[in-house]
Amino acid sequence: MTTPMTTMPLDRTTAPSPTEPRPYHFPHITRTTLPNGLRILVAENHNAPLVSLRALVRSGADHDVAAKAGLAAIVADMLDEGAGERDAIRIAEDVGILGGSLGTGADWDASYISLDVLSRNTEASLAIFGDVTARPTLPAEELERVRAERLNDLLQQRNEPSAIAGKRFASLLYGTGAYGNSVGGNPDSVARITLDDVKAFYEQHYIPNHSSVVVSGAIAPAEAIELVTRTLGDWQSRPEPARPTVAPRPIDASRIYIIDRPQAVQSEIRVGHVGVARTTEDYFALSVMNAIFGGVFNSRINLNLRERHGYTYGARSQFAFRRQAGPFVVAAPVRNEVTTESVSEMLSELRRIRTGDIEDRELDDTKSYLMGVFPATVQTASDIASRLVDMELYGLPEDYFDRYRENIAAIGKDDITRVANKYLDPDRVLIVIVGNATQIREPLGQLGFPMHEMDIDGNGIA
Amino acid sequence: MLSIDQYRLGNGLRVVLNEDHSAPLVAVNLWYHVGSKNERPGRTGFAHLFEHMLFSGSENVGNNEHFRHVQSVGGVLNGTTFFDRTNYFETLPSNYLALGLWLESDRMGFFLPALTQEKLDIQREVVKEERRQRYDNVPYGTAFERLLHLAYNPEYSYHWPTIGSMTDLEAASLDDIREFFATWYRPDNCTLTIVGDFAPDEAKRLVEQYFGGIAAGGPFPEFTLERQPAGHEVRETFASQVQLPRLYRLYHLPKMGDAEWIHADLLTTILASDKASRLDRALVHEQQIAQDVAAYVLPTEATGIMLVQATAREGVSIEAIESAIDAEVARIAVGGLTEDELTRAKNRAEVEYAHQLETFDARADLIGMMSTYFGDPGRVQTWLDPYRSATAEDLAHVARKYMIPENRVTSLFVPQS
Repeated sequence: MTTPMTTMPLDRTTAPSPTEPRPYHFPHITRTTLPNGLRILVAENHNAPLVSLRALVRSGADHDVAAKAGLAAIVADMLDEGAGERDAIRIAEDVGILGGSLGTGADWDASYISLDVLSRNTEASLAIFGDVTARPTLPAEELERVRAERLNDLLQQRNEPSAIAGKRFASLLYGTGAYGNSVGGNPDSVARITLDDVKAFYEQHYIPNHSSVVVSGAIAPAEAIELVTRTLGDWQSRPEPARPTVAPRPIDASRIYIIDRPQAVQSEIRVGHVGVARTTEDYFALSVMNAIFGGVFNSRINLNLRERHGYTYGARSQFAFRRQAGPFVVAAPVRNEVTTESVSEMLSELRRIRTGDIEDRELDDTKSYLMGVFPATVQTASDIASRLVDMELYGLPEDYFDRYRENIAAIGKDDITRVANKYLDPDRVLIVIVGNATQIREPLGQLGFPMHEMDIDGNGIA
Repeated sequence: MLSIDQYRLGNGLRVVLNEDHSAPLVAVNLWYHVGSKNERPGRTGFAHLFEHMLFSGSENVGNNEHFRHVQSVGGVLNGTTFFDRTNYFETLPSNYLALGLWLESDRMGFFLPALTQEKLDIQREVVKEERRQRYDNVPYGTAFERLLHLAYNPEYSYHWPTIGSMTDLEAASLDDIREFFATWYRPDNCTLTIVGDFAPDEAKRLVEQYFGGIAAGGPFPEFTLERQPAGHEVRETFASQVQLPRLYRLYHLPKMGDAEWIHADLLTTILASDKASRLDRALVHEQQIAQDVAAYVLPTEATGIMLVQATAREGVSIEAIESAIDAEVARIAVGGLTEDELTRAKNRAEVEYAHQLETFDARADLIGMMSTYFGDPGRVQTWLDPYRSATAEDLAHVARKYMIPENRVTSLFVPQS
């Protein structure tokens, strides 16, 4: 049946109203645990002829000792340098024939193997995936090549202002312990890593009872579990390693650290301190608070520094939510002339959000963004796999994604003010600036904080 | 096969609908057929600065309110500028389709009344910071700009990068903005693509309602897009603040979508994509003289571009890198490609394409591109066909014809002593 349509004059002055929302459901998750302790999660979804495979090993660079920083990352790099019957080139060739894309890596919390493939080749792909995860050959000659690549990589970072700022900030905050080095290590530590170190790390940490495998995409759960069992069922379990404790250095008062880059046309600014672990009960309140403060385009920090003042192409803030308390940092590259003003604005925004000065609209907009945006961020098999990996890594409850909206909806202004006061401390921040010292030193002095200058390796300059 | 429905409004706006209810989302995507190639020398960086201005409000949408409207309902959005096009896009919960159409039609039809000098001054500063952040303050940041300067005559539209020059950005006036808008931002220079969870009749009604009343424009200015070949290699060595030497090379190709461009696309996958690819294997894995290699073709409409780059390891000369690359290219040119290599490259093309179709936003963008460059949104259905039918000899032919000194420019970035 059709009704005759009368053409109403269009009112452009206000936003049109939405129609009825359509329901969204996160894919059903099938879980199982093999006798060797390996946890398997499968999310079936036939939107594309693709399958994403992920292995999560719950040890990362947090297990590196300072003298051999970078070990976890080197081990991850070595996984596809030879595995099972294949050498490095053969792995790449066979993955290519299957239409796959293989990646390995480590961050602070964990090590990862990922393989995205055409679903028609899932079976053959899982065999290679299993070899790379559980049967790497860790050949000596490839270690030397991987090491040389890492050293060259570290060398290149010496000219990248953003990399320099991140390293110095982490090091000032955490010293030489976990979270204080970079995941990739430093030239001295990388030079010290031996093949025995690589093998020992692999033996100790890459064990099924310390790992999870995620399969997402166009495959039935029973088939996925069958194929994972075939390739990883014999993986030997061992006692799980204990996680080292992260020990941040206390900040007695705000201090400025300038790292001179004489040719710089921008100052790379980092302002922050220690944040909080991903497992905090305040996670949802902090997510909303940070989104208001600096987590999205329309947040206070970006509207202030970019849209009101034109100081930067983009300013943002972030809680690095890890297994243990990662940093909270406000970051922006700004032109040299407005370095001091930018730091001032960051500090004054940090103070303001603690006062309870939050508009209703600001809170409502931010909450509805966080609640509404979820489906748009999990459109692909790979996106869904990443969410399941997070779930496993941080021990999130099984109904986490189903209850996400109500957890965000429950946050009120009082929560924002409370967590802003509990987790932000504008009077005890590190202010790290990579920039043209000659040009920015004197204006920054006007802020009245103790000021230190260092080279890009962190050595103090008198 | 995707279900593609396309038509034009009376004002020339091309509309493409792709209905898909697999998620409660809708992607609204507009490709305006204007980019930095439509700029004139002295006014470079203009199309991109203009893209920034289009987020600063229109008659019924306040400054920064465009972002707020989309984000506050859980949408994501952005815009990008390249040589040949400017795109604007949002992915929204599907019950907000009308919101997306309202916002996009307001800035297409009612942008000028909201334009102020103050907004222009702020966005000019933001874009200058973008240039500093991405080009001027990072190692190798100006490499692409340098290659373009070497590759094209100063009056040719690809001579300058999208970001433009600081001097030209300074010179941009409100009148320039108004003229640019009137010339290019009009329904008959745009494709509107909607992908996702909508009812087609309702979507068509809304599109007509919001866009139907916007007027088409007059004739478009003429641009000469025929490249004048130099007939010899153009080279430079550029010393700057980098730790490792890096070779950048541009090879001229036929424009995007031509058979030889597609063969070149496959050829770059064979040259540099994974550890088993030619340059990776030879330079990084076996000879261990390079830190990294890359090769790819760009989606350009006026003339084709293949880029090859390689970073020398510490202590290795850039000359050694260059001759190793030329040796690998020479091997391919004489017919050294295997069927296995070709199969792997075709598989990679197939997977990458499947990934592009996987999300509503990337799929809408792909359809917008097919419509804008080829006048045929339906080409999204057949895009992979010439990839599938390519032969090893097709690729060798491209190497012989295009990967030669007379057809390339080379910029060698070396550390300042």
